[in-house]
Amino acid sequence: MIKIEGLSKFYGKNQILYSLNIEFEKGKTYGIVGENGAGKTTLFRCISGLENYQGKIFSDYKKLKNHLGLLLTEPYFLHKITGKEYIQLLANSRQIQLVSIEEKNIFDLPLNQYASNYSTGMKKKLALTAILLQENDVFILDEPFNGVDIQSNLIITDIIKELKRLNKTVLISSHIFSTLAETCDEIFLMKSGKIIKKVNHANFKKLEIDMKQFSIGNRINKLNLK
Amino acid sequence: MKEYFQLQFKLLNRKIIDFGVPLILAYTLLPVLFTLVLNYLYSKTEFAIPILILSSISFIYKLSEPNRNDFLKTIFNNKNYKKIRIVENLIFSLPFSLFLLYKFELLYFLLLNVLAVCFSFLNFKASNNLIIPTPFNKKPFEFIIGFRKTFYIFPVAYILTYISISETNFNLGVFCMLLIGLVCLFYYSNLENEYFIWNFNQSPKHFLKEKVKTCAINFTILSSPILLTLSIYFHTQIDILALFFLLCITYQATVIFAKYTAFPNEISMSEGILIALSFMFPPILIIITPLFYLKSLKKLKTILL
Repeated sequence: MIKIEGLSKFYGKNQILYSLNIEFEKGKTYGIVGENGAGKTTLFRCISGLENYQGKIFSDYKKLKNHLGLLLTEPYFLHKITGKEYIQLLANSRQIQLVSIEEKNIFDLPLNQYASNYSTGMKKKLALTAILLQENDVFILDEPFNGVDIQSNLIITDIIKELKRLNKTVLISSHIFSTLAETCDEIFLMKSGKIIKKVNHANFKKLEIDMKQFSIGNRINKLNLK
Repeated sequence: MKEYFQLQFKLLNRKIIDFGVPLILAYTLLPVLFTLVLNYLYSKTEFAIPILILSSISFIYKLSEPNRNDFLKTIFNNKNYKKIRIVENLIFSLPFSLFLLYKFELLYFLLLNVLAVCFSFLNFKASNNLIIPTPFNKKPFEFIIGFRKTFYIFPVAYILTYISISETNFNLGVFCMLLIGLVCLFYYSNLENEYFIWNFNQSPKHFLKEKVKTCAINFTILSSPILLTLSIYFHTQIDILALFFLLCITYQATVIFAKYTAFPNEISMSEGILIALSFMFPPILIIITPLFYLKSLKKLKTILL
């Protein structure tokens, strides 16, 4: 369980998150949706402990970050480190002994090439593989489908389902509503640093229609495309 | 093109200011220091000119980095791109070529400038993707990255050690070990993203212990051919050898602590001065090593929670 109480975040005078109160139950998958700049990534960084914040974040763990696998929107890679070495580095940092990395290469990545030379999608898949092999209990996946090919998209969707089966807690932010609808138990809609809606599985279809209407509205007509 | 160089000049000034040095001081003191160092080198060794040319080339080489060049190619047309690369290389080699001119080494002056121009046309993309195997696969990352960047230094050090044995020159042998120690020291100069520290699930104390342990083990592996050879051939001076070996490990630990003292910023000027002072007067390590250790523990607590 992760319980967030009155979470606010400021960058200087600029307030990004406004007193958020959210509870994530163990073994459930949650989606966070919202426009760019709504505060999704900042929320994830606060939960991970990568940002200072006001408010409180409780969890079942003494140190949540030690049980957390964090997939960043743009994962960081070190220069002149191969994919295999990257996985080893992340496993070492959690004292995980990896026997055969090659066997666990489910995305068929060129593990003996420099990870910094990978394409955007390959980087994402490598970073995801690395955090999965860390044997975490909680996963935060920030835009896991960005830049990823359709086959891998299907694999990632199944991985999320498998994590749920294994009673792991998963938080996902994505702009691809269909995959969220397929994997999530609840979806939170964020706008300008606030949670404006919490929707359960039964109402996902309605949320998608509402979001479409809200997001698109008559904006395209304003372009007067000819 | 003019705007590009103006922008580069602005970036350079920002870097100097961020490092904590006033611009006037940097532009007056650095050329003086540079000339003094080169003069010293010139007076001390007959290999000064090759060292100087190689140093200049190593600076120029960095400008040939593929991503940087691809970016420039997307902004400028081919003619202007080539012009920029030539001018950049000549600017970077200018301090060295001016020194050669000052010493009337006209042939080398010409050679350096020709090399600078030639390097502007070279593409290092292929070599940059070359995967050099390392013996450090189980413990990424500093030694893997560092080894891949400096692998050519090790055979040179081992050959020099062989010469030190054949010429019965113990000092040269110790120099080879110190060279490897110094090279390993630089492996810790690059800052990693805080994500890689955040991932570590143990205490700051344990984090630093692991870093120093890995560094000591890997340095021992790389210097073991030298250590073993010198121990056999100069066994009467094994105590001196052990002293220098321990000194290397202490310096490495100090630099690791200093790095995390300043994290996520680079080592600041005050820390840099303290480290530089310790090279002139090693006993100062007794004070600065624990000082950096305590400061780095404090800094790491904020990331490792």
